Amino acid sequence: MTNIIETKDLRFEYASEEEGPRVVLDGIDLDIRKGEFVAVLGHNGSGKSTLAKHFNAMLLPSGGKCYVAGMDTADEEKRFDVRQTVGMVLQNPDNQLVATIVEEDVAFGPENMGVPPEEIRKRVDEALKAVGMYEYRRHAPHKLSGGQKQRIAIAGIIAMRPACIVLDEPTAMLDPRGREEVISTIHRLCDEMGITIVLITHYMDETVDADRVVVIDDGRVLLSAAPREVFSQVDRLKAVELDVPQATRLIYRLQKAGVKGLPAGVLTDDECIEVLSNLLEVNGCPSSKPRN
Amino acid sequence: MIRDITFGQFFPAKSVVHALDPRTKLILVVAYIVLVFIGNNFLCLGLAAAFLILATALSKVPPKLMLRSTRPILFVIAFTAILNLLYIKGDVLLFEWGFVQIYDKGVFTAVFMAIRIILAVLGSSLLTYTTSPTDLTDGLERLMSPLKVLHLPVHEFALMMTIALRFIPTLIEETDKIMSAQKARGADLETGGLVKRVKALVPILIPLFVSSFRRAFDLATAMECRCYHGGEGRTRMKKLQMHGRDAWAFGITALVLGGIIAASILLPPVF
Repeated sequence: MTNIIETKDLRFEYASEEEGPRVVLDGIDLDIRKGEFVAVLGHNGSGKSTLAKHFNAMLLPSGGKCYVAGMDTADEEKRFDVRQTVGMVLQNPDNQLVATIVEEDVAFGPENMGVPPEEIRKRVDEALKAVGMYEYRRHAPHKLSGGQKQRIAIAGIIAMRPACIVLDEPTAMLDPRGREEVISTIHRLCDEMGITIVLITHYMDETVDADRVVVIDDGRVLLSAAPREVFSQVDRLKAVELDVPQATRLIYRLQKAGVKGLPAGVLTDDECIEVLSNLLEVNGCPSSKPRN
Repeated sequence: MIRDITFGQFFPAKSVVHALDPRTKLILVVAYIVLVFIGNNFLCLGLAAAFLILATALSKVPPKLMLRSTRPILFVIAFTAILNLLYIKGDVLLFEWGFVQIYDKGVFTAVFMAIRIILAVLGSSLLTYTTSPTDLTDGLERLMSPLKVLHLPVHEFALMMTIALRFIPTLIEETDKIMSAQKARGADLETGGLVKRVKALVPILIPLFVSSFRRAFDLATAMECRCYHGGEGRTRMKKLQMHGRDAWAFGITALVLGGIIAASILLPPVF
């Protein structure tokens, strides 16, 4: 069993009173492998959050199937197993913390699962260490920064020992520093603990280090490939109102302006600098290397 | 400033009283209030007062702080005292002016009731000064858990308390933001008569309400994601444990209670 999440022709629609049924997901086929870091991109209303809610049985498919570790999410008896296997972190860090003390909040999930007290204690300490918030275990959540609160929310999920964590725009309400904290935390969880990560976002920069980028548009999978491959298709992304990382955009525009010899699919600032300075060197401007 | 707000009146310190199990403290406070109202002469009240002074000294809560907790109920005390003065008739008439007649028994009762109320309030303040709201909720939930047999939603109630405590600072912060936002749009919250000021609150309360509902919706989703399904089959990380000091506290209180019952049987009542 190498796929943690599998969807087969997943459809979801809801009835709106004026316009009849509205289709949000229109036949999604997606496999997410164990240990993979998948970024799901899509503009507002593309159905990416709806898709995420299917991964832990918060929503059930109107058509097709969604399997989590081989369990059908529509199986009512398996619901809590599914939610324990796929944990979910939401956008607003304030609205998902339940308790007045950090460690008690982290304990909330395992408490619901009926884990014995000593075991909960152990898990809570481990989870808080994994997100680097152990020193704050006795603090009140409302005194922490947004990034810290979001890390507590992640710890609350880790304490349930999930195989996979789905994060639904976890950085949308954070400042740049909080975003950086959260993104590096989830990368560490993926690399060190082997937890599968599904990161739903509309910040392109957060997706460049993912193993795979899935672009959702209008309830369908538009692209599903490595970041480099996805972001080399600038025109296709623009067509669905998605942007590309800044470095990619700069190279793309230079190419459009007729500059020859630039590779496609440049992702990070460092790559961009290197590509440009190489280009300048080839064209005979040796002084153009960055000074330090 | 608004982030540092504390609720209730928890006074953090390291003391024997703070370290007592919240359940012990809850039971003892109830017992204490009962014994204050059983005692029917001044010796009983003296014993109760001595007990309270001992407990306060052990708790390291400054006496000034303790006394301050009676301030909100001074009016109630004064009101009861005046009613007692005016309406209790006795044998010796001390003072007469028109329809006002004050008897010796009235004076005694007034003083006695006032002391009773003050002692009861001080006793419960000691509980809230030495127990954090979280511990208090925990203690209450566990003490009440036998009532689950009667289908009382004990767990739900405790969870509601916890969530309320968790969200009070968040909502205060939000109110502050909304007020600033409305002021920036020219809202006048500080001048005008009562009606005008109440009306000025509407544009603050409505967004606050709307956002509270949104938060509640989010919170419910987050709780479901974390496998919340009511109190059934739920375990707790924190185990409350009684220690030797709890036994001591029970023992001492039992002695005082015995003393007060004995004194109220043996000595003549005040009224």
